Amino acid sequence: MPLSRRAFLELLGGSTAYAFTFSCTGGSDGPAPAPTPRPVTGDHALRYFVDYTEWLFIHADSSVTVHTGRIDMGQGLKTVLSNLVSQGLQIAPEKVTIVLGDTDRCPDDGPTEGSSATRIVGWGYWRACERVRGHLVERAAEALGVSVRRLEYHDGAVVGTKDPDLRLAIGELADGSLHLDTIDPTERWESATTYVDRGTGNVNAEAVVTGTLVFTGDLFAGECPYGSLALPEHHIHFSKIESADLEAAARTPGVDHVARLGKTAFAVGSGFRAVQNGLENLAPVWKVPTEPQEMDVEGWIRERATPVKTIEESGRAEDVLAAAEIRLGETYITQYATQAPIETETSVAEVGDDGVTVWASTQAPFKARKAVADRLKIDEEKVRVIAMPVGGGFGVKVNTLAPAEAALMARAAGRRVKHVYTRPYQVIGRGRYKEAVVADITSAVTADGSLVARTLDLYQDEGFGSTGTYDIPHVRSRLLHSKMPARHGTMRGTSFVQTCFAVESHTDMVAAEIGMDPVDFRKKNVAYASFRPLLDACAERIGYGARELPENHGIGFGICHHGGRQLGATAAEVSVNRRTGEVRVERMVGALDIGLVINRNTVRATVTGAMIWGLGFALFEEVHLDGHRTATRSMADYRIPRFSDIPPIDLIFLSNEVKIPRPRGCGELQVIPTIGAIANAVHQAVGVRFHTLPLTPERVLAALGS
Amino acid sequence: MAEQRSFKLRVNGSLHTVTSDPDEPLLWVLRDHLKLTGTKFGCGEGECGACAVQINGEVYRSCLVTVGEVDPGDEIVTIEGLGQPGNLSPLQQSFIDHTAFGCGYCTPGMIVTADALLRSNPRPSRDEIVRTMDDNLCRCASYPAIVDAIEAVAGDRAKKED
Repeated sequence: MPLSRRAFLELLGGSTAYAFTFSCTGGSDGPAPAPTPRPVTGDHALRYFVDYTEWLFIHADSSVTVHTGRIDMGQGLKTVLSNLVSQGLQIAPEKVTIVLGDTDRCPDDGPTEGSSATRIVGWGYWRACERVRGHLVERAAEALGVSVRRLEYHDGAVVGTKDPDLRLAIGELADGSLHLDTIDPTERWESATTYVDRGTGNVNAEAVVTGTLVFTGDLFAGECPYGSLALPEHHIHFSKIESADLEAAARTPGVDHVARLGKTAFAVGSGFRAVQNGLENLAPVWKVPTEPQEMDVEGWIRERATPVKTIEESGRAEDVLAAAEIRLGETYITQYATQAPIETETSVAEVGDDGVTVWASTQAPFKARKAVADRLKIDEEKVRVIAMPVGGGFGVKVNTLAPAEAALMARAAGRRVKHVYTRPYQVIGRGRYKEAVVADITSAVTADGSLVARTLDLYQDEGFGSTGTYDIPHVRSRLLHSKMPARHGTMRGTSFVQTCFAVESHTDMVAAEIGMDPVDFRKKNVAYASFRPLLDACAERIGYGARELPENHGIGFGICHHGGRQLGATAAEVSVNRRTGEVRVERMVGALDIGLVINRNTVRATVTGAMIWGLGFALFEEVHLDGHRTATRSMADYRIPRFSDIPPIDLIFLSNEVKIPRPRGCGELQVIPTIGAIANAVHQAVGVRFHTLPLTPERVLAALGS
Repeated sequence: MAEQRSFKLRVNGSLHTVTSDPDEPLLWVLRDHLKLTGTKFGCGEGECGACAVQINGEVYRSCLVTVGEVDPGDEIVTIEGLGQPGNLSPLQQSFIDHTAFGCGYCTPGMIVTADALLRSNPRPSRDEIVRTMDDNLCRCASYPAIVDAIEAVAGDRAKKED
C-alpha cells in the first residue's frame, strides 16, 4: 500500500517534519515549486521525501534528527553536520541525531566524493536551519497570539524579545505537521547567525579509540558465514575461469557452498580462512589475454590513443607557440596507483522473500543499491543498503561491487553472507586504479615572464585535469582517449593529480628557461589573485630564500585549484641522498583558501592527510603491471607513507571571502599541489628534472648516475 | 585443515575456551569466537598493524599468530582490554584530544601498539615513538597527530614524576 500523506503524518508521531530541496529558479515563472511528496510503500516510509535533499525532524523533546545519504569515511561528516545543526538551531550537540547512508531512511543526495559533502550537504542544512528558525517564530506567534515582531529565535526556543515569559521550546512547537520548501542556491542571502568554529571533537571519537565503532565486518560476529571470490592474476575484467575443481573446493572443511559466478567463482563457508582454503582447493585455470610481459606504459598508451576531444580552447595556441621565441615542450608521465584503504571493501548481504538488505562499506549507498538491484534483476525498492562507517574509501568505494557480489552469494547460498575482500583481491580484483597518464605540455613565454600560450595533450581514458590555474591567453587542452592496460576508477584528487604534476613541474621549467624565480613566476601568471597570498605565506613559513639550505636540499612549490573554488599551495623542502637515491621530505607547508572552516580539527586532520598522500604519490606509490597482469599483489608490494616518512607539516588557512563565508570543501585539494612541490624541490636539490613518477631510489639513482 | 581442538585463551583477564582448527589465525578467533571485533582485519599479511594485540606485553600481528601457537598461560590483551567508553585510558583520551584518527579503522592497532610501548618505556622520545609505530599503517595519514598523542601521554607522566 502506498503511504498516504495522512499515514505519513501519523508515522511522524507528533514530530514536525521539514523537507527542503535546493533548486534553481523556475525561470520567468519565479522559484520552482516544492515537489509533491512521492508515496512509497512499507518500510520505505521515510523516503516519502524522495525528491527532497534535506530532511529535518523536530521532536517533542526538542531533539532534532537530520538525514543524509552521504557517509562518513573519516572526513568527519557526522561531526560537521552535528556542529552545523546544533549551531543552526542553537541546541546542544547531544540533541542532534544524524542518520547517514541508509537508502530506506535517507535522501539520495549524491555519492560522497569530490570533496563535496560539507560544501553541499553541510551548507544545505545550515540554510535549512535558517528557514526552520524563521518558520518556528511564525508558528510560535500563532500559538501565542502575538505578532512575530515581538518574538525571536534564541537557544532552541522562540522567546519574547522583551517579555521573558513568552517562551516556547522547539519541542513544544512540534505538532506533527509537514513543511516542504525549496531554496534557491543562487539567491543572495543574509544570515542572521554567523557560524563559529568551536573545534569540537569527533562525534565517533570514544567508539573509535575503544574499538567499539562498528564497521561492516564487525556485524554479526560469529553468526555469519563468509563468502569470497576466486582471484585471477589479472583483473577479473580481463580474465575468465576456464576450469576449476568445484568439488575439491566444496569438500574443504568449513566450506558449504561453491559455485561459478560470472567470470569467476565463489565459496561460502563458516570462517574467513575456511573460505580462502576452499578457493585454494578450487585451483582455477584462468583464460587470460596474451599480452607483452614487459610493460612500457607510455608506449602502450600512445599506441592506442584514439581521436581527440578538446577540453578547452581559447585563442590560437598552436599559431602563437609556432611563432614564439621562447618555447618549451615536455612530456610528463604518472603511474598507476591504488587507493589502499586499510579496511578492504566489505559487505554483508541478507536475501529474504521481501527483498535484500546489504550493510556495506560504501561511499555511495544509492549507487550500491542500484548495482545490487541490477545484478539480482530485482526492483530497486526491494533493496535496502545501509552504509556503515567506512574504514577509508579514497574513491574506491564509490563504485564498490562488494554489495552486489555479497547479495549474489547470499542468494545462491540461501544464507546471510559476509564478504570481506582479501588484500590481494582489493589490489587486483577489479582494478579501479588511478590511471596512468601521459601529458604532453608545451608553453610559450615572454622574456619578462608572461605565459602567452600553452597546449596540453592528456593521454588517458577519461577525466580532465585542472588547466585553469594560470591566466594564459592562448590555450588548447585535449584529451586523447586511450585503451588502458588496467581498469581505472576514482582515487582521491582524481585527474587533477596527474595534470597538476605535469603543469607544476613544467611551470618551474619554463620559469628556469627565462631565469625567473618560480614563486615570482607563479605570482605573475596565476588566474586567481588569491593564489598570491597563499604562495607568500608558504614561502615565508618555509624560509624560502631566507636561509641557506644544506647540500642536496631544495625547496619547491606547487599550486592548484579544485572543486568549488578551493585554492591550495604547498611548499616542500626535500633532501636527496646521492648515494642511495632516497628522497626525503624534510618539511612541508600548506596554505589553503577553502572558505569557512566548520571544524578545524577535522579539517586539519584531513588536509594533513592529503599532503601526506601527495608525498606518497610523488615518492613511492605505484601499481606494477605486466601487460594486463598486476604484479603488485599485497601491501608489501605497495609502499604507502608510514610514520618515518612524515616531516613536520604546517598549515595556514586564508579566506578571502569578506561577505558571508561558506565552506568550499577540502578533502582532496591538498594532495594535488604537494606532488608538484616535491618534484620541484628535488629539481632544486640536485638539478635533475624527473618526468616520470614516482621518484623511487632506483629512478633517482639512475638519473643521478647518468 | 587440521581437526578441531579445544583451546584455553586468557584474553583481557578473562579465561575463554574455544574450539578451533589450531591453524586458525588468532585474529579470527578473537573476532568470530570471542566477538572482540575491535581487532581489525587489514591485510592478513602482517603488513598493516590493524590487527595488533599484546601477548604477555609484546605486540603481535594477530593475523600471523595461530590459535595453536598461543600457550594457555599467555595473557592476551586487545583494544577492549585497554579501556571502555566512559572509562578511557589516558592514551585513548589523548588520541581523542589530538584528533589522532580519520576513519578510525587502524586506531585500535595504533593504541594497542603505543600502549605496549608506554608500558615498557614510559617516557619514549619522539624518535622512539616513530620507530616503534613505524609498522602500523594509517591511510588517512593521521601520523603526526598520533605521535603527538603518544608524546603527550609520555610528557604528562614525566610532569607527574618531576
